[in-house]
Amino acid sequence: MKETNVENLISLSNDLRWQIGDEFHDNLAEGIYADAAEIVKGSVRNKKEKGHLRFDAKLDQILTSKYLGFPLMFLILAVVLWLTIVGANYPSAMLGSLLLDTVHPFLKDLGVTVGLPVWLNGFLIDGVYLAVAWVIAVMLPPMAIFFPLFTLLEDFGYLPRVAFNLDNLFKRAGAHGKQALTMSMGFGCNAAGVVATRIIDSPRERLIAIITNNFSLCNGRWPTQILIATIFVGAVVPKAWSGLVSLAAVIGIAVLGMGFMFFTSWALSKTVLKGEVSTFSLELPPYRPPRFWKTIYTSLIDRTLIVLWRAIVFAAPAGAVIWLISNVHLGDLSIAAWSIDFMNPFGYLLGLNGVILLAYIVAIPANEIVIPTVLMLTVLVTGIGGGAGAGVMFELDSANATGDILKAGGWTLLTAVNLMLFSLLHNPCSTTIYTIYKETKSLKWTAVASILPVIMGFVVTFLVAQVWRLLS
Amino acid sequence: MYNYNPFWALTIFLAVAVLGFFLFRPSKGWFWVINKGAKKDKKELIEDILKLLYHSENEDKPVNVNDIARILNDDEKEVLESLSEMAEVDLISLSGNHVKLTKAGSDYALRMVRAHRLWERFLAEKTGYDEADWHHIAEKKEHELSAAETEQLAAKLGNPQFDPHGDPIPTNTGKVAPINGVLLSELETDTIARIIHIKDKPDIVYKQIVAENIHIGSHIRVVEKSPERIVFHAEGEAFVLAPIVAANITVSVLKKDVLFEENIARLSMLQENETAEIIGISREMRGESRRRLLDLGFVKGADVKIDLPNPLGEPKAFLIKGTSIALRDNQASKILIKKS
Repeated sequence: MKETNVENLISLSNDLRWQIGDEFHDNLAEGIYADAAEIVKGSVRNKKEKGHLRFDAKLDQILTSKYLGFPLMFLILAVVLWLTIVGANYPSAMLGSLLLDTVHPFLKDLGVTVGLPVWLNGFLIDGVYLAVAWVIAVMLPPMAIFFPLFTLLEDFGYLPRVAFNLDNLFKRAGAHGKQALTMSMGFGCNAAGVVATRIIDSPRERLIAIITNNFSLCNGRWPTQILIATIFVGAVVPKAWSGLVSLAAVIGIAVLGMGFMFFTSWALSKTVLKGEVSTFSLELPPYRPPRFWKTIYTSLIDRTLIVLWRAIVFAAPAGAVIWLISNVHLGDLSIAAWSIDFMNPFGYLLGLNGVILLAYIVAIPANEIVIPTVLMLTVLVTGIGGGAGAGVMFELDSANATGDILKAGGWTLLTAVNLMLFSLLHNPCSTTIYTIYKETKSLKWTAVASILPVIMGFVVTFLVAQVWRLLS
Repeated sequence: MYNYNPFWALTIFLAVAVLGFFLFRPSKGWFWVINKGAKKDKKELIEDILKLLYHSENEDKPVNVNDIARILNDDEKEVLESLSEMAEVDLISLSGNHVKLTKAGSDYALRMVRAHRLWERFLAEKTGYDEADWHHIAEKKEHELSAAETEQLAAKLGNPQFDPHGDPIPTNTGKVAPINGVLLSELETDTIARIIHIKDKPDIVYKQIVAENIHIGSHIRVVEKSPERIVFHAEGEAFVLAPIVAANITVSVLKKDVLFEENIARLSMLQENETAEIIGISREMRGESRRRLLDLGFVKGADVKIDLPNPLGEPKAFLIKGTSIALRDNQASKILIKKS
């Protein structure tokens, strides 16, 4: 008896649902919204801050104007990058001389005094400690300058205007205007850029921004680009022009990165990401004076230190690996020498060499240690003088001396150009890969974001090498 | 150092690249084509035939055995085999060249239609696929959904009654809501009506309607009707369609006392220095995107004006409830306003 009652009820409810129709829930929700708006209209009175509004509107008219908007934007970005790259040199040099030139020998001596075996001393101090110290010295200062500057701009309300100005370009690539911001953030650090994609609330566009963030040259790669451009590209032209030409080469690589970013965004949105939900909205908050100290504090704690900590966690084992492959011998050669021999043909095909490929494999934790690793490995396999010993990364004070070692390692202008390209187009550092995994919670997208750029790097360097050899 | 000819290296690479492109290019790549062709098994063919029969019986356009092979673009022999198999398990009754659905066959067909339309609704609400892709994806997916999965999907979507094109979704008991409408091509001038259905076949016509930005739920008024063209006003814009295209749109005629407001427009048409009141958001704005707009304050009765034009054209920033929100044109075109 009861059961038939229940069944009757269910069928009645089904009938009723049928009668009120599909749009019932939406209509109800929208009705409530509208009623609430009506009540607010009737009962809340706004004190109009006219002076404030006028200032806002005027500023907006300048910052988003057709003719001034874009030059202003590039100017501000250029100033921020210049401050970061040039300004970071001094604290970096200080940290470097402290951690690498003073503490490192001291620790090494301490190890001897305590009576550590030579291999353990080398493994711990030359391997683990050196990698960590290196990453801190090169990574900390630029991030400590870049992130506060960037956060100040964000807090002031300028960055949403940049997204607003550029959205149409990004829309054509199937991306969100805010990707302009995460990309700029990537110029500081890709891991931080990936975290910054949280501001993009549309799932598809956010994934695009995460996967393509690596195409922004990060702080760890700017010095590599500048060094190689100065040594090799600048040397092609008369001395008076070399500074300008090498700068143009570096900027060219950065712009090429933006090109790849747009292209990849477009390709992804048209293929694998087609089905992800896409919603657009962009709020332009009113301008307000940035809260200076709070901004400095949060950007140092939230962005700089977290990223630095992750980098250290990954750098320590990498240091160990770098030391081990150079010091563990199989037969008459070290593991490093064997792998370099093995990879040399492939490297040559790409216009690179085995040393560079091995350096990019073992220096995954941080782009900062690629050049020191390359130098160490070059000295190791060529057997020329200099350097600090097997497995001990080093860098030289003068670009000329660095150039001499690299040339002894068989580098040509083609190697240099392709290294600059490969430095732009290769897998993100392990800190970034880990961050991508944390943000997407998906192995699939992490794999795509890690492998796609390497493949593009292989293809581009390969093509450049073949055309170069055909023409020369 | 190493001796090889860069010219050959380049040639081999290009050959591999071209081959890869033809194999894997989206939708037309050979790999996908072969994959698709191999996968169309007997079950899919039977289900496709059932659906075809169901639709043709609904439209009172009976088909015979030859028509089926032609319309489905399939091997005639396979179709014949499937038909005789279907007759054996009593899904259809065959008499000569004439095919008719049995009760069991018609139930099965309704289940397929239900799965198809539910999936279209799912694609519209929960994914970002283009409108033009919905039909094709659902066409594949309907064969993969089991009865239990279909029910789960329906529950997740809140047991919807209509798919995004305005077609009724059959209930699990086989009930189908009727569409009481007339074709747009048959409306007299000066009639006021509401668009309730846009047919998603044939592809080329549907894509044209989607490109014209014609929405389900829009109120329209026919202003001109001739054998060459039909002109109607909707949401402040004039649309011109060929009668054959207009025949794909179904409308329900509104009673005479419903006022057709000529000054209703789309937010995308708002000019600088004009203010307007929001009337509502079009039905075409679905799922996440719709909720987002409501959250931001684009609700009925709110005042809106342009806050900032964009140096590149779009998105424009709109001042709504004291906040400046930038929307792209394709979003703004789905918000209805009344200029004041």
